Amino acid sequence: MSIEVESQAAASVPARVPALEVKGLVKHYPGVKALDGVDLVVHQNEVLGLAGENGAGKSTLLKALVGLVKPDAGEIYVRGEKVKLRSVDDAAVQGIGMVFQEQSLVPNLTAAENIVLGSEGAGVKAGLYRWSEMRRLAQEQFDKIGSHIDPLARTDTLSFADRQMVEIAKVLRIEQRSQHPPVIILDEPTSVLESKEIETLFTQVRRLREFASVVFVSHRLDEVLDVCDRVAVLRSGQSVGEVQTEGAQPADLHKMMIGSTGSDDHYHEGLAQPSEEERPRLTVRGLSAKTFRDVNLDVHAGEIVAVVGVHGSGREDVCRALFGAEPTTAGEVTLDGKKLDLSGTRAACAAGVGYVPAERKIEGMVGPMSVADNMTLAKQKSRCNGPLVVPTKQATLVDRWIERLSIRTPNRTTAIQRLSGGNQQKVVLARWLVGNDIRLLLLDHPTRGLDIGARSEVYRLMRELANNGVATVLLADSLEEAIGMADRIIVMSDGKVASEMPCRTGAKPTPLDLVKEMV
Amino acid sequence: MTSPVVARPAAEPTVVKGGPSLSARVTSFMPVIALVVLLAALTIADPGFFTQRSLTAASMTAAPLIVMAVGATLVVLCGGIDLSIAAMASLSTVFLALWLPSLGALSTPAVIAAAAAFGAVQGVLHVVLRIPSFIVTLGGMSVFSAIALVVSDAGTVPVTDNSTLNWLTLYLGGIVPMSVVVALLVVTGIWVIMRFTPIQSWITATGYSESAARLAGSPVDYVKIGAFCVSGACAGLAAVMLVSRNFSGNPSMADNLLLPAVAAIVVGGTAITGGHGSVWRSVAGALVVTLLRVGLPIVGVPSAWEQILYGAIIVAAVALTLDRSKVLIIK
Repeated sequence: MSIEVESQAAASVPARVPALEVKGLVKHYPGVKALDGVDLVVHQNEVLGLAGENGAGKSTLLKALVGLVKPDAGEIYVRGEKVKLRSVDDAAVQGIGMVFQEQSLVPNLTAAENIVLGSEGAGVKAGLYRWSEMRRLAQEQFDKIGSHIDPLARTDTLSFADRQMVEIAKVLRIEQRSQHPPVIILDEPTSVLESKEIETLFTQVRRLREFASVVFVSHRLDEVLDVCDRVAVLRSGQSVGEVQTEGAQPADLHKMMIGSTGSDDHYHEGLAQPSEEERPRLTVRGLSAKTFRDVNLDVHAGEIVAVVGVHGSGREDVCRALFGAEPTTAGEVTLDGKKLDLSGTRAACAAGVGYVPAERKIEGMVGPMSVADNMTLAKQKSRCNGPLVVPTKQATLVDRWIERLSIRTPNRTTAIQRLSGGNQQKVVLARWLVGNDIRLLLLDHPTRGLDIGARSEVYRLMRELANNGVATVLLADSLEEAIGMADRIIVMSDGKVASEMPCRTGAKPTPLDLVKEMV
Repeated sequence: MTSPVVARPAAEPTVVKGGPSLSARVTSFMPVIALVVLLAALTIADPGFFTQRSLTAASMTAAPLIVMAVGATLVVLCGGIDLSIAAMASLSTVFLALWLPSLGALSTPAVIAAAAAFGAVQGVLHVVLRIPSFIVTLGGMSVFSAIALVVSDAGTVPVTDNSTLNWLTLYLGGIVPMSVVVALLVVTGIWVIMRFTPIQSWITATGYSESAARLAGSPVDYVKIGAFCVSGACAGLAAVMLVSRNFSGNPSMADNLLLPAVAAIVVGGTAITGGHGSVWRSVAGALVVTLLRVGLPIVGVPSAWEQILYGAIIVAAVALTLDRSKVLIIK
């Protein structure tokens, strides 16, 4: 279907030459192959969806396309010509531009200034802005997308959706530079938009197709199928295939993203043992802070409670607050009947609370430090006699956990950053287990960026810990994960607990049930 | 175009094998290599240099620098910088000279304690007010200099009775200056404490990734305040050594040691971004810097050129050792 669209619309360049083509792209990071021979074709005047789980290599691929990442091997062709993209500027000259997930506008400048920033052209004369010209330049871009934003409005006074329009308008400036139909990359453009704004964006994307090619990345598969002509699927850094969107179902896409291993008891539900505890281990009453208010929550020993919510629901902050890493303004938290001190992370550690942060590489581990030192970082007592470190004690302890969690590492003195993501995460989890005093585990996206096998191992470990009586709060990477793992699900919305539903094996809610409560 | 499912198995998780590369290993031994090369070069330029007498003299010059550099190394390992050490040492020389007549032998511990307290105050300001250490200690540098000028009436304070400091000018076994012995004892002490307690882990974690250290329950704030405190105390001890040699205190006596001390740290290979490094590296760095200092006149370079050298080697050493993959934006 897309081929016909293309041959009609592509008048300026001979048809069938793809606007953008990627062949065998490879990118290694220490310990992980982010891209492992990716092939991708973007046709002219086509909206190509890019789907893949977290860690499948989507972001790395996009970054390679705009010159932010230098691939180790592979080729990129723009309109049939091989190119080397060393910077965003190089990419812009070739007509490739990206609207970033985190917006890249300068908040205290006007929309017009942001749009022409870096390519002022006639907008600047003798070192000074010519505002009439600036306005015209910006309006020209806005006209392309039919937007009615005032070019002279300060960016920070615009709504998020409007700012996104400014971003798109800004990216469209590259059309002037390359003198060719541009390739526009939209990275998770809908993740923080409301449904009405999403409709506007989709209208926009369809409009872009008239004169540009679009690469559209989103987590929401229904959206991808709705707006795209064709979807390419990545898994573990490889292209695993593509789907024509006409008549395709989200489930088909999902299957491709996860692969065959994802099917049978991925979440180890067979291991689940419902908790029989009467009294909750963790009770949270009226906990409030800047980003959430009046949160009530109970977690029993041996129970896994998933907290779900959209971006901005405040669930991450609740998690951090329970670990003493975020200031709170009100509320009472008790752990096994004793008041939990939320003033700092040290107090939480001492009370038997563990936290696995979402940003593993930045917050979860100290990359250049050894596996052993990372593992004993939080529970120094576990390797000490009195105030002194006993290296043999540490060695025995660490080796035991390396074996028990089957952590694949050359040895315990290897820097943790040299391990693969899954093994890194196991070390980070083991950090809370070596002390033998863990009571409450707060897991913030514990499987982010892990491949299927590693994920499954993390799930298994979570089950074992729960069966040993550890109370777990899980912020899952996806609704499926939350449903698969949790005994109970708390839905947060706008910083408040919106609802709560049981999620025992055999009586699981569907993602749709949750989504209704989330928005 | 219609090939819906082309399934490939998920890739096996990889473990990257092997340690640091050869060039990384060589870079790691750079300070020792530089030390040997310098010694050889100076001996060739002036065969009289490699004698016990001149080496003893050189090591005595190095002692205060070693102590200062090692103290400040702790702050650098935590990811900060202490620019106030030289001014702190100058202030301490003034205090020492002023207190000697009344406190006698107690004035040495008193000065070190005072310097440690000043250091701790800077640490607290840095941690509590969340001001970059660079700014706090830049301010501290100015404040300490001013206090030194005020209490000394902007002049040299002579020391008439040097008896309680005299031991520092003696020689162990007739060869090794006591000040060098003290310096090495201090370094060993700091190293032993770090090595055999969790402090090493905490400092390293804080330096590499403060947020990761904090989220693993490390006492990041106390570690940083402690580092500033030790850095101050070391500057105080360096001041004691300077006074024992110069028989006076002066509000600018140690001011010219700031660049050499920072140079010693970076030449030693301690990462200016924190985490990587050790106090022994700074000892090697301090010796390199001292050799350059005493060696320049030997090869006929006027001493006015010294400052150019310090500036150049700081920049060059950081250029060689900085791990740019860790620093996203160079400010």
